[in-house]
Amino acid sequence: MTESRNDTDSTEAGLDLGSGADLSRWRTVLARRTEGRAVALLVVVATVALVLEPIVFTSYEVTLGRLALIGLVALGLTAVILMGELDLAVASTLAFSGVVMASIDNLALGILAALLGGLVIGVVNAFFVVVVGINSFIATLGMLFFLRGAAFVLSGEEPVRLVAREAGIAFGRPLIGPLSPRILIFVIAVIALQVFVTRVRAGREFYAVGGNRQAAYDAGIPVRRRVYTGFMISGFVSALAGVINTLERTAADPTAGGSVLLASFAAAIIGGVLLNGGRGSIVGTLIGAASLAILQVALTLSGVQVDVQNIVIGLILLIAVITDPTTLRVVLGNARALFRGSSQAQPEPG
Amino acid sequence: MKMRRARVVGLMLAGAMVLSACAGDDTADDAGATDDAAADDAADDGAAEGDTFEVYALLPQGNDQPYGTTYLPPFEATAEELGLNLTITNSQYDADTQASDCEVAVAAEPDGIILWPAVADTIRPCLEAADAAGIPVTITNSDVLEEDQALTAGYSGPDTYGQGVASAELMCDLAGGEEVGIIMINGLTGNTTAIDRENGFEETINEQCSNVEILARQPGNWNKDESQIAASEMITSVGIENIDGAYAADDTMVAGVIDAFKARDMAVEDLLITSIGNTFLGNPLVLSGELDGTVFQSSSWDGENAARTIYEVLTESPDERLVAFMPDVKVTADNAEDPAVAPEW
Repeated sequence: MTESRNDTDSTEAGLDLGSGADLSRWRTVLARRTEGRAVALLVVVATVALVLEPIVFTSYEVTLGRLALIGLVALGLTAVILMGELDLAVASTLAFSGVVMASIDNLALGILAALLGGLVIGVVNAFFVVVVGINSFIATLGMLFFLRGAAFVLSGEEPVRLVAREAGIAFGRPLIGPLSPRILIFVIAVIALQVFVTRVRAGREFYAVGGNRQAAYDAGIPVRRRVYTGFMISGFVSALAGVINTLERTAADPTAGGSVLLASFAAAIIGGVLLNGGRGSIVGTLIGAASLAILQVALTLSGVQVDVQNIVIGLILLIAVITDPTTLRVVLGNARALFRGSSQAQPEPG
Repeated sequence: MKMRRARVVGLMLAGAMVLSACAGDDTADDAGATDDAAADDAADDGAAEGDTFEVYALLPQGNDQPYGTTYLPPFEATAEELGLNLTITNSQYDADTQASDCEVAVAAEPDGIILWPAVADTIRPCLEAADAAGIPVTITNSDVLEEDQALTAGYSGPDTYGQGVASAELMCDLAGGEEVGIIMINGLTGNTTAIDRENGFEETINEQCSNVEILARQPGNWNKDESQIAASEMITSVGIENIDGAYAADDTMVAGVIDAFKARDMAVEDLLITSIGNTFLGNPLVLSGELDGTVFQSSSWDGENAARTIYEVLTESPDERLVAFMPDVKVTADNAEDPAVAPEW
């Protein structure tokens, strides 16, 4: 469905131009992109920040750190949303995996167990969605509560401190130039997921599964396996974020991730990822997360209270949804129908 | 064409709203623009006295909590008086957000940082980063772990462990050697203040009056409704006949506990109930005899001394860590009307 819609857009774009094959190709490529609004927002936010709080860019490692904090979970979430599913358990997975990791004295074993736990959580989520047939919203909502409770029980309702505290502190220090391991891992995750969803067949099939699931079945795409893969990516990336947070804070907090769910969804939506699936990109989510990160850092530097920050983010989210081409089409269509209806309903003069 | 035009309009609208929101924030923000002006004034007024200081205050709450609402005005007023130009953040008890706020603060290179830890176990990296940047950090409201104290220049605020101790001492006095069973409502799970108060209360009970038995415990998350539900569930599980009283980690929650008791037709006046806070909610309960005792916590003292402590550090560079504990005044029906313990929040 979505693919064909994009094709139509691009064809129209080509017909409008009528000449110049290269230009037409560029227009086709641009018409397929979904990151337009995110780029526009990024430009606006970056410009405002540059004028009001240039430290956002001079201390870019701080801004990149915030980007990695917001963006990592959003990347995994994008894999799920592309298939038209939701994963509400990402923040709880983050908290749970952190507690699992900190509860194991051996650091390497703890990290391994936490990441493995993330994969298992993804498998269980996908099982409920694919095999049991529960809506992903409900299935992952249940998982959200289960994992949050499990994190509290496992931690004894207190933060769990790393045995290797010094290793955690060392992990938080810059590794290459001013870049910390968190930022480097985030960059690797962006590249890996971007390559996966654009260059690897299994990843590209995410779009087909999200665009039209029945058509994907008919085309012989292993839809169930793709859904499993998507949830496993989301679980793994969330667990990875939990591991990084726990290492950097030198303790696992069972209440962690309070702001992660909203921020990661916001980044994906602002980045042009369609919640119904089939449309969006990792790059879009990256740009969406970058916009949010710059905005948050600039507002924090300006001393703007978190409540006001939330208002701004909420507004941007609303604008992102309203300015979605599909939504705009519906709104304009409804408006036209309304005007036509009212003009037809007017009594004939005389 | 129309669709393209609509997209452009949408984008322009988005840009305009973001720009106006950012511009509006500056004017609406108390901690930003107001303090800028205050700092300018202070600079003008206090030219003879000397400097103004840029200070980041990394708090886990603000106007979203009753305590924060009454903490901030005296904090900001004292800061203005002392020439501190405040930038205030609110992590809403999210340790990751506070850590990120700390990175931002260190990058801004202020003269000092006031930190109210969201989760004390997680702020070591923040303290190290500030230390490495040569920025002094003072702690407010809830102290850091003992091994992290060397990285901080001072602490002002309640002795959260001592508050639990004081509330337990009230309970021990009320029990008077009788075998007593109580239920316990604690604060937000994992929160440092909640943990300290719980430990202070329980350890004192064990040491001073082992005749008081904690029959069951649940978190009330600093929330009246949640503590009422938790208390109601504990009454069911433990049995009305076994409950002689309750301890709640603050007055907001104890109000919920008392409502839960009333809902089960339990004679609240006959039960032994203690708490911490002496707030607008708790003080009338003490006067009515429903709450037997609470421990006064002054949010204005807390806010004011947060500003004074960092100022002292910045102007006097003391060799030793400054510590200013809020006095733990026990409030019962005998002194609940004393102006010295008039509730503030």
